[in-house]
Amino acid sequence: MSENTTQQTQTASTDDRSPTDGRSPTTTTGETVEQTRDEWTDYEFRGDAKLAVEDLDVHYGDDHALKGVSMEIPEESVTALIGPSGCGKSTYLRCLNRMNDRVSSARIDGSVKLDGQEIYRDGVNLVELRKRVGMVFQSPNPFPKTIRENIAYGPKKHGDLDTGLLARLLNRSDADERDALVERCLRDAALWDEVSDRLDDNALGLSGGQQQRLCIARCLSVDPEVILMDEPASALDPIATAKIEDLIDDLAEEYTVVIVTHNMQQAARISDQTAVFLTGGELVEYGDTDQVFEDPHSERVEDYITGKFG
Amino acid sequence: MADASQTDARLVESETTETDAVAGVAVGLSAVLFALAVAALFERVSLTGSLFGIRTVTLLGGLLTALGVAVVAFGAGSRLGYVETDPDPSAGLVAGFGAAVPWVVVGGSVASQTLGLGTTVGVLAGTAVGGGAFALTVLPREDVGSTLPLGSLLALTGLVFLTGVIGPTWVWELDWAQQAALTAEFLIPAATLFSALYGGWASAKAYGGFGARGRHMGAYVLVYLNALSIVAFLFVLVAFVVVQGVPGLLNGVEIGLGTGPQTTVLGVSVTLPVSVPFVMNGVALFNDFQGVLPAIVGTVWLVLGAVVLAVPLGVGAALFLTEYADRGRFTQVVEIATNGLWSTPSIVFGLFGFAFLIPRFGNGKSLLSGMITLGFMLLPLVVITSREAMLSVPDEYRDASAALGVSKWQTIRSVVLPAALPGVVTGVILGVGRIAGETAPILLTMAGGTFVPGSQTVDVLGSFQFTSAPPFVANPALLEATSALPYQLYALISAGVGASSNVGNADEFRWATALVLLVVVLSFYAIGIATRYYFRRRLTHT
Repeated sequence: MSENTTQQTQTASTDDRSPTDGRSPTTTTGETVEQTRDEWTDYEFRGDAKLAVEDLDVHYGDDHALKGVSMEIPEESVTALIGPSGCGKSTYLRCLNRMNDRVSSARIDGSVKLDGQEIYRDGVNLVELRKRVGMVFQSPNPFPKTIRENIAYGPKKHGDLDTGLLARLLNRSDADERDALVERCLRDAALWDEVSDRLDDNALGLSGGQQQRLCIARCLSVDPEVILMDEPASALDPIATAKIEDLIDDLAEEYTVVIVTHNMQQAARISDQTAVFLTGGELVEYGDTDQVFEDPHSERVEDYITGKFG
Repeated sequence: MADASQTDARLVESETTETDAVAGVAVGLSAVLFALAVAALFERVSLTGSLFGIRTVTLLGGLLTALGVAVVAFGAGSRLGYVETDPDPSAGLVAGFGAAVPWVVVGGSVASQTLGLGTTVGVLAGTAVGGGAFALTVLPREDVGSTLPLGSLLALTGLVFLTGVIGPTWVWELDWAQQAALTAEFLIPAATLFSALYGGWASAKAYGGFGARGRHMGAYVLVYLNALSIVAFLFVLVAFVVVQGVPGLLNGVEIGLGTGPQTTVLGVSVTLPVSVPFVMNGVALFNDFQGVLPAIVGTVWLVLGAVVLAVPLGVGAALFLTEYADRGRFTQVVEIATNGLWSTPSIVFGLFGFAFLIPRFGNGKSLLSGMITLGFMLLPLVVITSREAMLSVPDEYRDASAALGVSKWQTIRSVVLPAALPGVVTGVILGVGRIAGETAPILLTMAGGTFVPGSQTVDVLGSFQFTSAPPFVANPALLEATSALPYQLYALISAGVGASSNVGNADEFRWATALVLLVVVLSFYAIGIATRYYFRRRLTHT
C-alpha cells in the first residue's frame, strides 16, 4: 500500500516543477523549494486504517485547492492536520464526509475509503456516511432550539426517536429513550454537569465553550465512528479550549478523531499523528506527532513548526 | 508655545457653568417652540386665541426673539472670549448652505412682495441676501458663523410676529388662477417649526462648545427632533381620526344585559351585553342607528382569504428560490419580476381581476374575486421578505444539519423555516397593511354599495354546502358581492351630501367608518406583531 501511495504523491506534486531527486529544486520564481519526498508522507502505523485517502485532488473552479493527497488515518486515535491558512487542510477534512459536495464549484477526484468502502462513487448513501463520519465546525453552531432538542435532532430526523404528537397520542413516544440519549451524549461531551438542570433552555444561551461541547454532543448523538473537527477551539478562550482538548483525548478511546488546527501546541498536545499541509494544497509530511514536531524530515516543515514560515 | 495651553482641549470638562445652562435652556426653548409649532399646524393650539394669558402669536414671536438673541449673544460671547469654547476655523459648507436657504426666502419675499419690486429684483435680492448669509457663516470663525446668521434669522422672524407685521389674520393672495392663498394659519406654524429646528441646531452647537463636540450635539438635537416629529405626526394623524370618528362610532351605544344583538356562539344563542350599533348594524330603513357591519366582515374575510392564498404560495416560491434553485439568470429574472409585481399599481391588479377573474367566477363582482386579486397583490411582498428571511438564516445551521446526515427537506422544515418565520411574518404584516386599505381593486372586483344593508353581511363559514355534482362543495357567499371598509369609505365620500338623509349625520358616519377601518388594520398589525413575537421568543428563549 505504501508504494502505491508514494508513487501518486510524487506524480501529483511534480506537476509544475522539474522532477528532481527531492532536495531543493529551483522553481520558476527562483525560490528554493524542496520537494515532497515519498517517505515523508509514508507513515507506517500499527493497527487498521479507518480512512484511506488516495490521490485526492480538489478544484474550486480554477483553484487547485488540494493536490494529490494520499494518507491513511488509523482507527481510534487523534490525527491532527496542521498548516498555514489556505493550505487545503479544511478542504481535505470536508472531503472525508463529502461536505464539499455542498459547494457547487468544487470538483473532487481521487478515492476516499471508509473501512475499505469507497465513498466517492455513485450510490453512496450520504445520510449513512454522515451518520458514521460526524463533523464539528469552527464556530459553535447549535440550532436555535433547546439543548434537549439540539441533541435529539439527528436521531429524530433519522426516525430513530419518535416523540411527535402522534406518537404521544398513540402512547408510543420515545421520550425516555430520548432523555437517556441526551444524558449519555452530554456526559460523553463533558457538559452534563453544567446543563443537566436546564435542558429545556435555548442552546444559544450557553457560553461559547459550552456551545461547542454541545455541538460535539450533538455529533455523538447519531453514533458516529469518525469525528471530524475543523478548528473546534479557535473561537474559544484558553479554559474552554483546555476542556475541549481533554474531551478530544477521551473521545479518542472510542472514536477516530481527525482535527484541523492552527495551533501547533494544541496539535502536539492532543494528537497521536500529525499531517502537515503547506501552501499549495500539498501534504508535505505525515507521521508520529513526536517525530514531526521534534525531528521533521522536511526543512519547510521544520521552518513552519519553528515559526520561520507560515 | 503660549498658544498650546489655550488650544489644548480640556480632558475633564468643568462642572456645568452658567453659560452651559444658558445654552441648555436655549435648546430646551427650541424643543418647546417645535412642539408649539406642530400643535399649531394641526390646530391643536389656536393662533387667534391665547396661551398662558398671552396671545399665541405674541408668545411665539417673543420666544423666537429670545432664542435668536440668546444664540447670537452666545456666539458673540465666545468670539470675544467671555465664554470658553473650542471652535473650528469655519462652520463649514453644509452649515453655510443651511443658513443661506432661509435667508434666500426671506430676502426674496421681502424685496418682491413687501417692497413690491417685482420678481426679478426679488430673485436678485434673495440671492444677495442668501449669499451674504452664506459668507457670514463660512468665512468667520465657527462660533460666529454658526450663530450669527441663524440667530438673527430667528430674531427677525420673532420680531415680525411680535410687531404684528404677520398677524393671525394675515393672508397672502398668490394671484394664481386658482384661489390659492398663503394664510397665517399655515405660515406662522411652518416658520416657527423651521426656526425652532435652526435655533435648536445652533444652540446645541453652542452647548457643545462648538468644534467636533458641538457638531455632534447639533446633529444629535436635529436627529432627535426629526424622530420626535415623525412620532408626533403619526400620533396627531391617529388622534385626528379618533377625535373625528368617535362621535359617529358611539352613536346609540348601550351597555347592559340584554341590550346587544343576539348571536350564536358555538351553537348557543347569546345576547351580547353591549350594543354598538355602528359596528353591529347594516343600513336599513327602520334602524334607529345605521352601521357598517357588512363592510367590517367583508374586510376581515377579504384579508383572511388573501393571506390564505398568498402565504403558502409565497413561502413556497421563496423556499425554492433560496434553497433549491442555483443562483443565476433564472433567479435574477424571478427576483426582478417579483419586485416589479410589488410596485405594480393596485388599479392594474384590479383591472386584471375585473377582466380575468370575474368572468370565471360567476360573472359578477364577488368576494372570491376580491380575495384572489388581493392575494396576488400580497404575493410578491411575501416572496421578497420570505426570501430575505431565509437568506439571513446562517449557513452554519444548514451545515450542522447536513453533517448529521439530515436530508435537505427535513433541514428546511425543522431548521430553516422556524428560523425564518419571524421575518416571513413581518412581510405578511406589511403586506396586510397595504391590502387591507386597498380601494381600487375592490372597486373593480367586489364592490358592494354605499349604504349596505345588514342582510348583505357575508357568512362564509355558514354557507358551505355539499352538492351532488363536482366539486361537491359550494359556498355561495364567496360568489356574492359584498362591501369592504375602504371601498365603502370611498363610496361615502364620493356619494356627497345627497345620501346623508339615510344615515343622519353623513360626516360623522364617514369619520366613524375611517376610524373603524383604522382599527381593523391596526388589529391585523397587532395580531401579526404578537405572532412574530411568539416565533422570535421560541428561537431565543423557550
